[in-house]
Amino acid sequence: MKVVFLYAFIFFSIGILHAQKTDYLFATIADSLKENANAVVRLDQTDIRILSQRNLSVSNKRIVTVLNEKGLGNIDATEYYDKTSSVKSIEATVYDAFGKEIKKIRRKDFRDQCVIDGVTTFSDNRIIYLDYTPVQYPFTIVFESERSTSNTAFIPLWLPMNDYFLSVEKSIVNVTYPENLGFKKKELHFSGFQIQKTADSPTFLSYTATNFIARKQEDYSPQYLDIFPVVMFGLEKFHLEGVDGNASTWQEFGKWYSEKILSDVTKLSESSVAAVKKLVGNENDPIKKAKIVYDFVQKKSRYVSIQVGIGGFKPMQAADVDRLGYGDCKALTNYTKALLDAVDVPSYHTVLYGNRRQRSIDGDFVSMQGDHMILALPSGKEYIFLECTSQDNPFGYQANFTDDRDVLVIKPDGGEIVHTTKYIDKDNRQFSVGKYNVAADGMVSANVAITSEGSQYGTKFPLENNAPTENEKHYKSYWNNINNLKMNKIAFRNDKEKVQFTENVTFDAVNYGSVTAPRMIFPVNLYNQYSANLKRIRNRKTPFEILRGFYDEDEIAIALPDGFAIESIPKNFELSGKFGEYKTELVQTDAHHLVYKRKLWMKKGSFPSDDYETYRNFIDQVARNDNAKIVLLKN
Amino acid sequence: MNQKQLIFISFLMFAFSTMANAQKMELGKVTLAELEEKSHPKDPSAPAAILFKKGISKFDYTQSDGFTMITTVKTKIKIYKKEGFDWANQKVWYRLQSNVKENVFFSDAVTYNLVDGKIVKTKLKNEGEFDEKLTRYIGEKKITMPAVKEGSIIEFEYEIKSPVIGKIRDWDFQATIPVNYSEFKTFIPEYFIYRVNQKGYLFPKASVEKLERSIMYTYREQAKPGDITIGGGSQENLKFSETKTTYIAENLPALRDENFVNNIENYMATISHELSMVKYPNVPLKNYSTDWESVTKTIYDNDDFGIELNKTGYFENALKTLTEGLKTQPEIVAAILNYVKTNVKWDNYYGYSCNDGVKNAYKTKTGNVAEINLMLVAMLRYAGINANPVLISTRSNGISFFPNRTAFNYVIAAIENPNGVTLLDATEKFSQPDILPLRDLNWIGRLIRKDGTSKEIELIPKKPSKEIIFMNGTINPEGFVTGKIRKQYTDYEALQFRQQYVSVNQEIYQENQESKHHIEISEYQRDNDQDIAKPVVENFSFKSTNEVENINGKIYISPMLFLRMKENPFKQEVREYPVDFGYPTQSKYNLTLEIPDGYKIQTLPAAANIITADEFGAFKYIIGSTGNKIQITITSDINTAILPADYYAVLKDYFQKMYDKENEKIVLIKA
Repeated sequence: MKVVFLYAFIFFSIGILHAQKTDYLFATIADSLKENANAVVRLDQTDIRILSQRNLSVSNKRIVTVLNEKGLGNIDATEYYDKTSSVKSIEATVYDAFGKEIKKIRRKDFRDQCVIDGVTTFSDNRIIYLDYTPVQYPFTIVFESERSTSNTAFIPLWLPMNDYFLSVEKSIVNVTYPENLGFKKKELHFSGFQIQKTADSPTFLSYTATNFIARKQEDYSPQYLDIFPVVMFGLEKFHLEGVDGNASTWQEFGKWYSEKILSDVTKLSESSVAAVKKLVGNENDPIKKAKIVYDFVQKKSRYVSIQVGIGGFKPMQAADVDRLGYGDCKALTNYTKALLDAVDVPSYHTVLYGNRRQRSIDGDFVSMQGDHMILALPSGKEYIFLECTSQDNPFGYQANFTDDRDVLVIKPDGGEIVHTTKYIDKDNRQFSVGKYNVAADGMVSANVAITSEGSQYGTKFPLENNAPTENEKHYKSYWNNINNLKMNKIAFRNDKEKVQFTENVTFDAVNYGSVTAPRMIFPVNLYNQYSANLKRIRNRKTPFEILRGFYDEDEIAIALPDGFAIESIPKNFELSGKFGEYKTELVQTDAHHLVYKRKLWMKKGSFPSDDYETYRNFIDQVARNDNAKIVLLKN
Repeated sequence: MNQKQLIFISFLMFAFSTMANAQKMELGKVTLAELEEKSHPKDPSAPAAILFKKGISKFDYTQSDGFTMITTVKTKIKIYKKEGFDWANQKVWYRLQSNVKENVFFSDAVTYNLVDGKIVKTKLKNEGEFDEKLTRYIGEKKITMPAVKEGSIIEFEYEIKSPVIGKIRDWDFQATIPVNYSEFKTFIPEYFIYRVNQKGYLFPKASVEKLERSIMYTYREQAKPGDITIGGGSQENLKFSETKTTYIAENLPALRDENFVNNIENYMATISHELSMVKYPNVPLKNYSTDWESVTKTIYDNDDFGIELNKTGYFENALKTLTEGLKTQPEIVAAILNYVKTNVKWDNYYGYSCNDGVKNAYKTKTGNVAEINLMLVAMLRYAGINANPVLISTRSNGISFFPNRTAFNYVIAAIENPNGVTLLDATEKFSQPDILPLRDLNWIGRLIRKDGTSKEIELIPKKPSKEIIFMNGTINPEGFVTGKIRKQYTDYEALQFRQQYVSVNQEIYQENQESKHHIEISEYQRDNDQDIAKPVVENFSFKSTNEVENINGKIYISPMLFLRMKENPFKQEVREYPVDFGYPTQSKYNLTLEIPDGYKIQTLPAAANIITADEFGAFKYIIGSTGNKIQITITSDINTAILPADYYAVLKDYFQKMYDKENEKIVLIKA
């Protein structure tokens, strides 16, 4: 489940040119721009020149004053290239706070290396970046570069403020384009920011942004891409890796993608076709067939990220994946499709953004988008989506990576924007049944069965594959409210059909009841305390989001030690509001037995910044009541 | 006996037994039984296991290149679970620079699977081989094995051709998965003497054999092996003896990481070889590293070390102004250390050798570790201070118990005075004399004097770093406490504080602290965070909402409030490796809590005094009341930086007792 369409990111870095010769003194930065800023963009000018359908050049001049070491990442002195694009020039000059030149950095002094991350095995894409050791703060760096490419399917976004804790004095984008290529743009989140559209003709477009004040990144904030101004650019007539395209609708775009990029990649050898037919046998139901095939792919393949060849657009041949048993998301999706084709089950390549945070393909802007690929399987009027990079996911499981977002399904007759399965609120259920008894010395012994569904299933089922020592570690940190925790028995049941994961665990802990003679005191809620500790954020500015929500239900039978009487027990408690609902009940069944029932429902939602204190208060009350204690008195 | 020796001896007691069991350990001999095996017989949770790994390092001789080293490694791995798929991606690093250029070749890479009861082979082709340049100095060959599934067996061989004979590649017997059989053979011509070092808990069995060997070479006047020139001359057959050494270890358990281990690789069963002597026929012996003295001498004689150290003529003018009027040695040292820290920034490269040289570093204001700290030594010497470099091995580089040059990867500075040694490292902006970045605190270093003699230097701090806290709080029956707190951090505690928090926006720092401790902070003030000679001091007012409970008219409160230990950091039941605290610490708390009107004390926790065996930990808890005030004084000491694993049970119990004490509650009732 790793990101693969590298290009999408490459173009996020911003480009520029032709700045006036000014002295960028530290002293001339307005105080308002310094507040909360790790760096200040003095000027960022990007000149995007679309010279023809197959010729795009982007020049960039970026002047950044870095205020402290956390601002180093905002220099963005980086360019990418590969077989179809080249970096024509790149250089940087460093000035001190008084505008005196400290260092000039030529192309040969930049680092030039393969784009590689923890999961990438190999990549054709190269990165040129500046590896500068600052000798003092603040300093100002002037970075200039020019890059050209034949790919016009991706045109860099204009994102004047591309980070939190970053101020922008001025940012300019100029776009020139021929009249006949169907140039288009989309403006997002302009409100509240100073942006002028200085030109908008059939061949030239220009924007200027001024004085963007740095924003703090606050917990549960949306991504900057979702709230800071963005302009997207695109062409109806474009070019990608040797192939021309022409699309003004998703229907046309999908058809083009299907015909030009995906047409010749699903061939399998005759023996492999025969093998999969044999595997499926007499099964007629397409969904059941697909389950057999999906299971086969999960067992046979593994995810390896290899970014070679056609720059991350075209999947590796299905026959190669068949032989090698590995591939990236496109390769594995395409391979699964090829196998399904062989047994006459239709399925479609599907492009999307793969991320825990739901991000949709922008449906009103027909263009190359997304960074991940999955497979869509028609089921009546709906689709079932298959994540082909996972060896463990249940059939059709999407939570936490591809759920609840708009995706592009690519069918031979055209593309279609579809919303994927939602996992929200009570879909993400966890219910537990347990019992514990407390001994006279405070030791607790417990047995619980916890069943998780929906997105909660996704966070729990990997436990099944852990080594026992890892699981012991997991519980000791998961239940860090229980000191001296000793796990006695851990057993799991993973029902992939129902998508339910059940943990059955037995544990004990000495001194759970804290004894200060003659009293013993302990929290009633032993094993499902909600401990989210929200920060008090002074003057919150950004809205906040609860991405999915969840629902927990617990029932715990409690046995108290002989020789103690109850001095006090927590009162029943109930809370409800726009963020969710919470209810606890404690019923005494006899002198030594209690039953504790608890329900917590946290709702999915997006909320304005003003609501944050109320939300924090809600969580705080839940956490506080979850820690409510029983007090026993020795007879 | 210092701690290092103590721990090392306890390793030796685990000396590993091996049986020279001559199984068929060859590639291409995969059996049905091996493919059918579902889990590792001794470690059922293992995601994969190395069935065997066999390596040979030997010397090749050619007229043009002289002796070169050839290392071949054959490996057979069983994959049991998906989590073991990473073992199907393999990589081998090699040197890139032209004078030491190495070549790596993979061959015989095959995946075996069981398909319908039959063994199916899938060979690795070019498409699964990758070559990559990682840095200026290091490249990497990688393979991605095809057709890997649960149950697969993969085999591969690789060969490394290297002109570097100063060191044979380290052989790791252990891995993070079980190793059933590991064998390493060396064939070393009589001309070369290697120092062999072993580390870890488990030791292989070694056997030695003498062999005869001969090579052809062209004889010319004054020519000799290892220094051959091309050209005419007579063909000669040179006979010499070669020592074959075989190391075998079997059934090695998986190496698993634990908390408070500085670098798990220090405990991995590994063997390394470093050239200590060359004795070509009719040529005087050349010694490299037979003892620490000669190791340090060799390093000192290196151009990138000794010569760089003794360079002058680049900083004198600046230094004269800097030290003018300064009288005492500490003042001068502080001024010079600060000068180097401010004027030359570390480029994050390690090493005891200079890259571009001290003068260039001075000019460009950037340098590697050697450039910065050798420059520091030179400046201190110029100011008349008895300063010398100290070679060390950082935590990430591990520990070497035997003399060799690669035992070191870093250099710092030391000042010798009659009353002791002071250590300095100018690569860290918050460092001070004897307060070094934590990467430096790894066992012992070697100080090199001008005459090339050397001396062992303890790097582990002995003096406790302190955290001193004063707190005054007023209990409110509504269920919160308001008050003021003053925290003071010295030495390493101050260094850690500065490294973590100085660059963090203070508002964000406060928000994080509030969230961590369940408090609200106001009137926050921090002193001396840049004035590194002084302790860091924080003062703030707080409202603690989570530490007071009002149950049925009684108030329950932990006297340490949010400062109490929230969980015992030592959770695992048993431990195999030493516990590394980094440095000794002392925490002192002076707390006063005011009882609200209308309430009186029902119970106070009892005083306590907990001291561990050998006194590595001591905890003292005193509590009392006068009028409406409760006073608590707590001292908590960890008197050692490193604790052998034998003490783990004692340590865990000690922390548990502290936890229990710190979490006991005061009970107040209505008066």
